[in-house]
Amino acid sequence: MDSVYLCRLDDIPDGTSRGFDPWREGRDTVFVVRQGAVLHAWRNACPHYGTRDREVPLAWRKDAYLDADRSSIVCAAHGARFDIATGICTLGPCLGQGLQRVEVELAPDNNIYIPPQGGRRPI
Amino acid sequence: MNIIGPDALVFGVDDLAACAQYLTDYGLAPAGNGRFEALDGTAIVLAHKDDAGLPAPMGTASMLRKTIYGVADQAALGAIAEELGRDREVKRLPDGSIEALDDMGFVLGFQVTVRRALDMPAETINAPGAAPQRKPNVVAVDENAPALPRTLSHVVYFVPDVPRAEKFYVERLGFACTDRLVGAGPFLRPAGTLDHHTLFLIQTPPFMKGIEHFTFHMGGPTEVMQAGSRFVNKGYQSFWGPGRHKMGSNWFWYFNSPLGCHVEYDADMDLHDEQWTAREAPAGADASQLFLFEKRDNWAPGGPPPGAAGAAERH
Repeated sequence: MDSVYLCRLDDIPDGTSRGFDPWREGRDTVFVVRQGAVLHAWRNACPHYGTRDREVPLAWRKDAYLDADRSSIVCAAHGARFDIATGICTLGPCLGQGLQRVEVELAPDNNIYIPPQGGRRPI
Repeated sequence: MNIIGPDALVFGVDDLAACAQYLTDYGLAPAGNGRFEALDGTAIVLAHKDDAGLPAPMGTASMLRKTIYGVADQAALGAIAEELGRDREVKRLPDGSIEALDDMGFVLGFQVTVRRALDMPAETINAPGAAPQRKPNVVAVDENAPALPRTLSHVVYFVPDVPRAEKFYVERLGFACTDRLVGAGPFLRPAGTLDHHTLFLIQTPPFMKGIEHFTFHMGGPTEVMQAGSRFVNKGYQSFWGPGRHKMGSNWFWYFNSPLGCHVEYDADMDLHDEQWTAREAPAGADASQLFLFEKRDNWAPGGPPPGAAGAAERH
C-alpha cells in the first residue's frame, strides 16, 4: 500500500478544515484540521452513530467541520463538539467517546500524505 | 386543545451567517429579525446563542430554544393557559402568545396560528387504470420548478423519559398517538390536524436531550427529489435519503445542518382521524423506510457506471 497524497499545506488555510476521499470511496472519509504547522486528521465518522456499515459524516457542507470561531470540531448531525487536538467529545450525544485519528505526514516539500495504512479501516 | 401544529422553531446558534445561508438555500424566505418562512408563514427563527431574548439553553448540544405551536383561536389559547397553569408557570408575552415548559424541560410557545391558507396543486401522476391526473400535453418535469417548502411539518425530540413526555402531550395538550416505534417512541398528532404526526419522541440518555430534526412539507415526492438534489449540488451533506417512510408514508431526505440537528424535506404524509388504530413496530431501518435511495452523480446507460474511476458520489 502506497502513501496517499492529500494536498499541499497551503491548500488548507491556517485554522480551517478540509475533507478528503483518499481511498476513492465516493465521499469524504477523512478530514484534516490545520493549526499552524500542526495537522490533525480524523475519520469523517461521528462516534454517536459511527459504525463500519453506517458511518455518519460530520460536516454540514463540504469542508465545514468547525464551529463559528474554529475552536472545536462539530458534528452537524446532532451538534456534538470535539476537541480538535484529541478528538474527544466534550459536549453532545457521544460524551466520553472520540473521533478515530488518521495518521498524516507533512513532507519537507509541504505536501501532505497519509502513510501506508495510516488510517484505512481495518479489513 | 385545538393545536394545529408547529408554527415556528426558535434556535440559538453560534454561526448565524452560516445558518441563515443554509435555511435560505433550503428554500425558506428571509423575513427579517432572524425569521425564515415557508410559503404559508410557518418558520424557523434564528438568534445568536448568547442573545438575551432567547429562552435558556437545555445544557446539551441542542440549539433548539423554543417550539411555538399554532392554535385555532383565542379560546384554544385560553384553554391551554388554564390547563398548564394548574401546575406550572405560564408566561404571557407582549405579542399575545403564552409560554410554558413541558415535562422534559422543552420551552413551548402557543399562539393563534400565523399560518396563511395555501391554494396550490399537489403533484399529479398518470397511471394505467386510473383517470389521468395530468391531461394530454401537460408535462410533469420542469427543471426550473421552484420546489419550495410549503409548511412546517413536524419536529422530533430526543427525550430522557418517553412515557412521561408522551403523557404530557396526550393528557395535557390533547395529542393522540398514531403509531409507535417500540424502543424509540410515539408519533403524536395534535387535535387540530389530520397529519400523521407533528411530533415524534425518541428515547435517549439525558445528555442527548434536544432536537433530532425538523422538516417542512413539499408539494410531492418530485419536489423532495428536486429540492434535495439542488441542496446536494450546493455542497450540503446528505444524511439519510431520499426514501419513503413506512409509518406516515411520507417521502424523506435528511441533511446535516449548522443548526445542530438534521433538517429534512418531506412530502405526502398520511392523514388520520380518531377512527385510526395505532400500529407498533420495533425501531430500526426495516420499520423506518419502505425503500432508500442514495444520491449519485448524473450518469446514463451507455455512460460510465457509477463508481468508475471514483466518479460516483455517495452521499
